[in-house]
Amino acid sequence: MADLAGILGADRLADEDGTPVLTPRDADEVATLLAAATRDGLALLVRGGGTKLDWRPVPARCDAILSTAALAGIVDHQPGDMTLVARAGTPLDDVQAAVAADERHRQRLMLDPLGGSDATLGGILSTRAAGPRRHRYGTPRDIVIGARYVTGDGLAAKTGGTVVKNVAGYDVAKLLIGAHGSLAVLTEVAVKLHPVPDVERTLVLHTTDAAEAARFVAALRTAPVTPIVVDVRWPEGLVAVRIASTAAGADAQVALLHDLAPLEELDAKAGDALLDEHLAFPFTGSGAVLGVGVRPSDLTGLLAAVTAAGGAFVGRAALVAGDVVLPDADPDRIARFVEAAHALGGNVTARRTAEAHRLAAYVPAAGLAQLEAAMQQRLDPAGVLA
Amino acid sequence: MAAVAQSPVLEIATLARDIVGPDWVVTDGAQLRVYECDGLKNQREVPGAVVLPGTTEQVAAVVRLCHERGVPFVARGAGSGLSGGAMPTAAGIIIGLSRLREVLDVDAPNQRARVQPGVTNLHVSEVAAPHGLYYAPDPSSQQVCTIGGNLAENAGGAHCLKYGFTTNHVLTATVVLSDGTIVELGSEAPDAPGLDLLGVLIGSEGTVAIVTEALLNLLPKPQHVETLVAMFPSSETAGEAVSTIIAEGIVPAAVEMMDRLAIDAAKTQSPVTWDTEAALIVELDGPVREVQSQFEAVTAICERCGADDVQVAASPAERMDIWRARKSAFAAVGALAPAYLVQDGVIPRTRLPEVLNGIRALADANGVRVANVFHAGDGNLHPLVLYDNKIEGEQERAEKVAIAIIELCVDFGGSITGEHGVGVEKICSMHKMFTGDDLTAFDRVRSAFDPDGLCNPDKLLPTPRLCGEVPGFHHTHRVEAAGLGERM
Repeated sequence: MADLAGILGADRLADEDGTPVLTPRDADEVATLLAAATRDGLALLVRGGGTKLDWRPVPARCDAILSTAALAGIVDHQPGDMTLVARAGTPLDDVQAAVAADERHRQRLMLDPLGGSDATLGGILSTRAAGPRRHRYGTPRDIVIGARYVTGDGLAAKTGGTVVKNVAGYDVAKLLIGAHGSLAVLTEVAVKLHPVPDVERTLVLHTTDAAEAARFVAALRTAPVTPIVVDVRWPEGLVAVRIASTAAGADAQVALLHDLAPLEELDAKAGDALLDEHLAFPFTGSGAVLGVGVRPSDLTGLLAAVTAAGGAFVGRAALVAGDVVLPDADPDRIARFVEAAHALGGNVTARRTAEAHRLAAYVPAAGLAQLEAAMQQRLDPAGVLA
Repeated sequence: MAAVAQSPVLEIATLARDIVGPDWVVTDGAQLRVYECDGLKNQREVPGAVVLPGTTEQVAAVVRLCHERGVPFVARGAGSGLSGGAMPTAAGIIIGLSRLREVLDVDAPNQRARVQPGVTNLHVSEVAAPHGLYYAPDPSSQQVCTIGGNLAENAGGAHCLKYGFTTNHVLTATVVLSDGTIVELGSEAPDAPGLDLLGVLIGSEGTVAIVTEALLNLLPKPQHVETLVAMFPSSETAGEAVSTIIAEGIVPAAVEMMDRLAIDAAKTQSPVTWDTEAALIVELDGPVREVQSQFEAVTAICERCGADDVQVAASPAERMDIWRARKSAFAAVGALAPAYLVQDGVIPRTRLPEVLNGIRALADANGVRVANVFHAGDGNLHPLVLYDNKIEGEQERAEKVAIAIIELCVDFGGSITGEHGVGVEKICSMHKMFTGDDLTAFDRVRSAFDPDGLCNPDKLLPTPRLCGEVPGFHHTHRVEAAGLGERM
């Protein structure tokens, strides 16, 4: 560890409850650190804002934390091309502020700030975190156009580029998104921006009848409307739709929605507050939290499983993907929910509590396990980041 | 009498007959020549044999034969690729997927279709149409190109500005790895745990696995579509119109630009009568009121930016004529010159005037003509380099210009390929865009899938044999990868 501190200088080394925190300033320093850690057989944990560290199991070993706090700042912003490049440790809030500062182009990076104002670009990518706007704009994999990264053994490399369309080379960014920093350290990210819609209007359907909620959501999937959010809260019994369009377009779509179901329109402030609540939801309570995804036709099945486990769900109703918060970390309760979601052919990933990580542990199919292990071995041969 | 040792390729051909049936193995020289190239016609190689499996299991069994003997294989769909991605290797076999052409299921409530790789792109939308759905990626070759090839190349098309590329529309893929293992990548439900290997597969140009089945996402057909063609006095003024549309926050379904030479070519294949330096096609789709209000804005922008004439498609038939003119432009260029090369570079859209000037200078300096077709919304240029292959040295000059054009794109912060892939065509331009370390990292990803280098070798990544010695980039040897030795 003394060696690693020597690479950065003492001012880049802190101590947190006995665990050293290394704060490299650029990709070269990250590369030197990782090469040294590979040589010395150390295990590092990569940390951005530290808001979603419990979305992965507690590592068996952590000799040091590699913080991306000093890898921050916007590198390039081209509103005319709807692109932005920033270093991975840049807080998402800082990116949004820079994008909003351009007055000619009303644009936004359509990633939701899961984890609050400390959440960084790199952290959001690594955890594949996505919120309500995912309905229209997708997840980080749909927004990232390139990245710079350092492999576990210290090879600094680039994938993709800074243009919105590009198929040169392998799409390594996809591999790193959602990998929780287990293969490589992201140091820089290129993203595409989207225009801010002229008008956004939020409407809600109150129903505790899962079949009615599902019918409404199914109708939205084929109706000529352009929502950016279709969220459901359960068992509270609420489906929220946020329409985004031109002023005239929004008027027409809102009229059409009122024909589909008895809806209440929220004012702008209440609409924003509702989305903020949904962003904060996976961090509420103190029980187990699980991310869950099922096919669109299994929405009612998922809601039944949530109710049966005594939990609460907030998520994207049309996709279907979101989070389940359970009242405690009772293993039986967690297991019951995980089993029910798997029975639907769904995916479950633990977000909080060790019990949830144990009971929802990822078990790849045989051929896939070998392939994932080979990828880990190629990008991080000594398992520094694994 | 001593047995005559067969070459490994012929041995595979013999054994494959028992797997796929005797009619589905090609070893006859004349028939093999059908497979000697794909849409990149200036590079050819006759394969050792062609095997045409009819099931995923047959693909796996044939790949196992290759793996056991260390024989390389190249997967091939329609062979319409433009970068030589399906070009054979003489010492290997082609595995053709043309028999796997069933749509297995259309799941309308979940808006998805399960298809085999030999299904054509357009056919997916045809089978989805009765349900009010369609498949969004629409490469110009969509009548013939297949879904397997679309996954390999991460195919785009005119409408990917708004709707994204193949990678945004595939949920799962059943693949055969280079040792014959069958695995399913991706998930029918969102947020699969584990690595996004599907994201790496798509766009990997057939170098990591063979796709034998895919689950595709379908979209509801837009309620309303409006299309216009605006005639501009120059590419610069047309480009300014695109910038203004983007600045207004309007995301058209498609924005396409053609220069005079491309328009002249298109006129030989379609009934359009455009007579201008730059034609800008803008299409908007979505709910009717939204489209109408944005269409008015786009029309006004075109006029304000100097369009001499704005023609609006008054019927679906007129819209078809516009798109026929655009999508047939590549082939139509054949009417203007005996031969041509299609190029595929990307630039930051705002740099268009400078890049077009650069292309003009390159064409003039080398005495060739270049027609430009351009996905103007996302900066994807398709310069068509015209030449006469009967004139000594002209093909070489055209090839030189084609490569210089994409390298010019990189100089302006762009990419050597937006949708056609690297293949063999641009393999030696990868250095222009990526460092040795970048390429080493790519090679590691590839070798995780295919440690023996059997799956479509000599494509996508440069090798010293093909491009000369390059400092910094080396292929990881199997011994190194296994941690049994290291380079000193």
